[in-house]
Amino acid sequence: MSAPVEVVLSADSAGQLFNCAVFDPHSGSEFLSYRGGNTSSRSLTVLNGEYILGAQLGKNFINVWEIQRKDQLQQKIVCPGIVTCLCASPDGLYVLAGIAEAIYLWEMSTGNLLAILSRHYQDVSCIRFTDDSSHFVSGGKDNLALIWNLSSVVQLDSSRTPEPCHILSRHSLPITDIHCGLMGPQARVATASLDQTVKVWEVSSGEMLLSVLFDVAIMSVTFDPCEYFLFCGGSDGNIFQVSLCSTSLSRDKTFQTDSDGNQVFKGHRNLVTCLSVSMDGTVLLSGSNDETVRMWDVQSKQCIWSINHKGPVTNAVIIPAPANMFLADSHPAVPLPRFSRHLNPSEQGDGTGSGGMCLRLRANTQVTSETSREVHCCCCESVVTVS
Amino acid sequence: MKAKKQKRQGDFQKIQLKVGKKKPKAENATNVNFKSKAIHLPEQLKHADSGPTTHRQLDIKDLLSKLHHINSNIKQGALVGLRVLLSAQPTLIELHASAVLSEVAALFTDKDGSVRAAAVRLLRFIAQCISAERVAPFFPLLSAHLTCAMTHISEAIQEDALRVLDVLLEHYPGLLSQRHTVLLTNFLELISQKRKAGTGQDKSGKGGFALTISTNRSVTAQQWRLTVLLRLGSFLQAVVEERPLEEGVTSMIGLGMWAGEKGSVTSVDVSWEEHVFGKGRIQVFENSGAVPTSHSTYRLRPDSKAVAGMNKELCSAETVQGFAGTLVPLMLEIWVEAAGGDRVQTDSGHLLSAEAMALMFQILTILQLLRRLTPQRDQQDILDAWFRNSYLTDFKHHFMKNFPYGLLEVARHRKKADGKRIRQQQVAAGTVAGGNVEPLALNVTLCQVMVTLSLRGQDHVEAEDADWLGPIRGFIRETLSSGGKLSSKHLAALLEVVWRMIVTQRSRVVTDDLLQAVYVQYQQRNLAVSVRTLLLHFFSQLYIQEHQNHPHIARSRILARWLASLPVQLVQLGSRNPQLSAQLLETIHPAAARGNKDLLQSLQKNACNIYDPQEGSVVVLPVDSQKRLVQILHFLPTFPAELLACLSQVCNTGRVSASLATMLVRTIHLRSPLSGWSSSSQDVPVKDVDYLSFCFTTLTGFSSEMLQALQDTDEDGLMPSSTLSPLSVFTTTLEQFLHHWDVVEEVCHCLDSLGSRAQCFDVIQNAIIKNLCGLVVVPDCVCAAILRCVPRLLDVNFLPSDTLLHFLSDCCLSMLSLLLQLEQSARKRDAVWEACFAALSTVPRLLRLVLQSLHVGDLCEEELPVLAQILSLLLQHTQLRNHMMANASLLQHIIQDLTHFYGGETREQWLTDLLYCYSVTLSGHRANMGMRDIY
Repeated sequence: MSAPVEVVLSADSAGQLFNCAVFDPHSGSEFLSYRGGNTSSRSLTVLNGEYILGAQLGKNFINVWEIQRKDQLQQKIVCPGIVTCLCASPDGLYVLAGIAEAIYLWEMSTGNLLAILSRHYQDVSCIRFTDDSSHFVSGGKDNLALIWNLSSVVQLDSSRTPEPCHILSRHSLPITDIHCGLMGPQARVATASLDQTVKVWEVSSGEMLLSVLFDVAIMSVTFDPCEYFLFCGGSDGNIFQVSLCSTSLSRDKTFQTDSDGNQVFKGHRNLVTCLSVSMDGTVLLSGSNDETVRMWDVQSKQCIWSINHKGPVTNAVIIPAPANMFLADSHPAVPLPRFSRHLNPSEQGDGTGSGGMCLRLRANTQVTSETSREVHCCCCESVVTVS
Repeated sequence: MKAKKQKRQGDFQKIQLKVGKKKPKAENATNVNFKSKAIHLPEQLKHADSGPTTHRQLDIKDLLSKLHHINSNIKQGALVGLRVLLSAQPTLIELHASAVLSEVAALFTDKDGSVRAAAVRLLRFIAQCISAERVAPFFPLLSAHLTCAMTHISEAIQEDALRVLDVLLEHYPGLLSQRHTVLLTNFLELISQKRKAGTGQDKSGKGGFALTISTNRSVTAQQWRLTVLLRLGSFLQAVVEERPLEEGVTSMIGLGMWAGEKGSVTSVDVSWEEHVFGKGRIQVFENSGAVPTSHSTYRLRPDSKAVAGMNKELCSAETVQGFAGTLVPLMLEIWVEAAGGDRVQTDSGHLLSAEAMALMFQILTILQLLRRLTPQRDQQDILDAWFRNSYLTDFKHHFMKNFPYGLLEVARHRKKADGKRIRQQQVAAGTVAGGNVEPLALNVTLCQVMVTLSLRGQDHVEAEDADWLGPIRGFIRETLSSGGKLSSKHLAALLEVVWRMIVTQRSRVVTDDLLQAVYVQYQQRNLAVSVRTLLLHFFSQLYIQEHQNHPHIARSRILARWLASLPVQLVQLGSRNPQLSAQLLETIHPAAARGNKDLLQSLQKNACNIYDPQEGSVVVLPVDSQKRLVQILHFLPTFPAELLACLSQVCNTGRVSASLATMLVRTIHLRSPLSGWSSSSQDVPVKDVDYLSFCFTTLTGFSSEMLQALQDTDEDGLMPSSTLSPLSVFTTTLEQFLHHWDVVEEVCHCLDSLGSRAQCFDVIQNAIIKNLCGLVVVPDCVCAAILRCVPRLLDVNFLPSDTLLHFLSDCCLSMLSLLLQLEQSARKRDAVWEACFAALSTVPRLLRLVLQSLHVGDLCEEELPVLAQILSLLLQHTQLRNHMMANASLLQHIIQDLTHFYGGETREQWLTDLLYCYSVTLSGHRANMGMRDIY
């Protein structure tokens, strides 16, 4: 059997059989499972294709597995509080965790805690990176979503507290889910909220482009890769498909009536907590509090398969299959450092890699977002080599 | 011969003249009795076909040609004629706009005053008729003539030029503001002249201009300067307001620095239903594709075009600095002269004459406008810093020395003889100065100007500025807390000053001091609505915008007290002023969302009043506010049982819409730990017991007291109990029934999604048995709700208790017989049938119980058709048929009894129907059986 291109990664809150498991997106058969503990909602993430990180439900640590060693828990990262959401940057250089109202930012190469951002007033419910890791969006139970520029957050300037570049404050109830589109800083972001709306924003300007009002609270949201459709998981178990472009194609389809059932995926019986679309945009994965994960065909809106879990599904996502996943004798290129728990690493007694040199951008460097990202990558790589 | 002679006599008769008789007239005398008159031709002998004319038959060409006449009377007459003609024929204006405007503009510089006045009058008339975009092509000409007139050597013409300016400012501010490069220097030259190159620059750098004084004007130099400054002020105002708003400008008009930012991207709003039915087509265009919007923070390369435009558009700090560098010293000089003049009359410097006050007010207004010329925040900061560096000492010395200014009572000190002259003067000045200026307005404006100079807080600067910020603070405190009523305009300015001081000074003492004063103002009774709104807006913006950045604001006790008072105010306000309530909610909502402790405590304390089902805010306010109130529920720390009781009644009284009621139920559901959404929180906002009792109460829709009261009433809506309807049904109104039906749907859904269904069913079963089973009179909506809820919650391997089933069968039978009497609404029929059907088909034992309870022998004659109808209804339904067949013997027994007891000779229709249904069902069943036997 050739290695699959994409895999489904899902976790539930019971954790009886496994903490999280990898399935085949076509058949729903289980490939691998990772044991030990259980994972809280929106806090399962793959770091650099080499590690799986999942925040323990109700406890203050993060479980880490090496992606090829499924049965052995690699490490537990102890955090200052209960982790409510977790996200690794797509380039694998940073990890963000929402701990109560604050967002913690770790650098993966050194394990240093770079910043603690406390701009939310209540618990952070979701964090997402843009696909180029230049920005991230955090949503909280205080109805706010904040767009942050990563390079401005990691600046080595202690006098200035980092500010979000945009504050999205038009939701009237807690934000439940965030999805970032493609195109880096020019992406569009969808936020779902309990106020029964899904709103689409522009990352670059922070302007709201679209707001869709539903009958039920929306618990999860995602785009397909072309951003033709917006999928919204409702609290009643329905998944709504909003078409973002009114193509002239629909005029030709006179035989299909645009009736109610045509744009709703029906099958779940409880909150739809997570949604994800495959790379080619043909199938949609959904996880629900009714303890099932279902795969849907987007075109016909039929359920292809469904997997029963032992508890409410907390995470379900389609990811490109990491190279190391099916090679049992592979090793991560970079060993995972110890994560520091304090902001200033110099105060720590057992400082990581004493010869480590840290290069970061100064506050006053005037660079555009594009170049800053490149410069930043260079810096981080240099850090890796030194330490 | 004789005959010849006679004839001759006849020819030459001699007329004898006699004395005393009148002399007869000679036959050939000439009559000179006539008069002559001169011929005037004031009107041409023209006809209407050559175009409209004035009453003098002059058409527009004649009039225009007369404008070149050397005689000023004729020119003036022509101007008047033009005005008459154009007002009679407004269409002509557009046709001849170019000719008329160019000719009229040429007369701005006419020697004769009356001609100029007439020209201005005509211009004003034309300006009323033509829109700005139509004048735009001729505007260069107009402004050239205006400039010409403003720089004219004759002072009378200069004065009249200002009138022209007034007209243009009034009607075409946008066009005029584009000409600022020329006009601004013209303004300067009206009151000053360029210094000689040698002496000008080295004199302490006070700019290249010096004030001029001319003695032969009709007004004093001061009044003249005042008029010029007044025009300059309104011109700058036009420049500021007419600036195109496309460059990502924070709009600073109105509430000044705490006005919110407006987005330029219009978002698409759709609702799901519209989208599904194809009404709301969405087309989200790529906003940040190739060209980022102006609001985008990404600049891949410097936008060279915009920078070039900015320099020309007078919004960069440098250009403003250049202009201000000449203007401000001039204005200071003017003020020094005016103040010096005043000081001669009185000793105390803080009392000013009305004239001086107007002058100072104008100077301050211009200073404010200069600052507002730069729209960008960073440019504004540069400008502020520049002003501070260059002029702080001057301002301090000249303006702040006698700071709280008062009005000098002029008339009292003068003699009567002087009074007359003064009054004349005042009339002259008043016409140009545009009325008097209140001392309060002056002081407030001065505060506004001065606080912009204060820097954002560093410690050493604070000490530096204390000497002049102190009096300002004192003034503001006194003004606000003196208890006087302030107009909303002054208050807005004062609040702006307060805002700026709080933000810049960063000291908790100052903040509390100032906020206390504002709070005193806020606490006054009987404030005008606009003032009240303004204060509310101030506080809420202060909280929402600045809270995070400034810990000293966040820790302010006054702000906390204000927030805590909001829920109380909401309760007190009731339904009196929905707008104000909405504004209160606009603050309460984000504050609650941010988990502000003071607010939440107060909210918790007043929750029962706010959510009171009788007169709470949640039922009396309009829909939008109701929705907000329901959303606020989401942030309430705990839900005590009383509050849940209130909320359950709110859901069912029908004063909130069904959709809102479902939202409320959903909110409570999400807050309950049973819903499994927020797993992390260790505190429990809704106790499980309370939650379930909330659900049950909402499900029934009637409190136990109401049900108890129903048992004893004799109302019309009551259907008496009988054999076919074991319960006495209280029919509710259609509206109430449908509302309740929607709510029940949501409650069922919530209960359905709870974790353990068996336990949940057990709880509901116990509740029904305990609360409802003993009842004799039951409202129909309660029956329907129970019948709907039980089958949805019932688990396959859970056996319901007999008591419950008996009650359900009673309900079901009563509902079925009610169903047959319902003609009023299809929806209600559908709902009732749906409930009965769901119950009967999911609980087979229920059907058997229903059939068992049908004792035909006990029925009277009239009830037999009803029973038959019920049976045929049940038989007709395919899904029920199998269950019916399971009870075939029972059914057969009933039908036999029925035919037996019905003793009528003729076979009625209902009986035929029933028998037909029965035979069809039976035969179908047998056929199925037969098929099964074959295979």
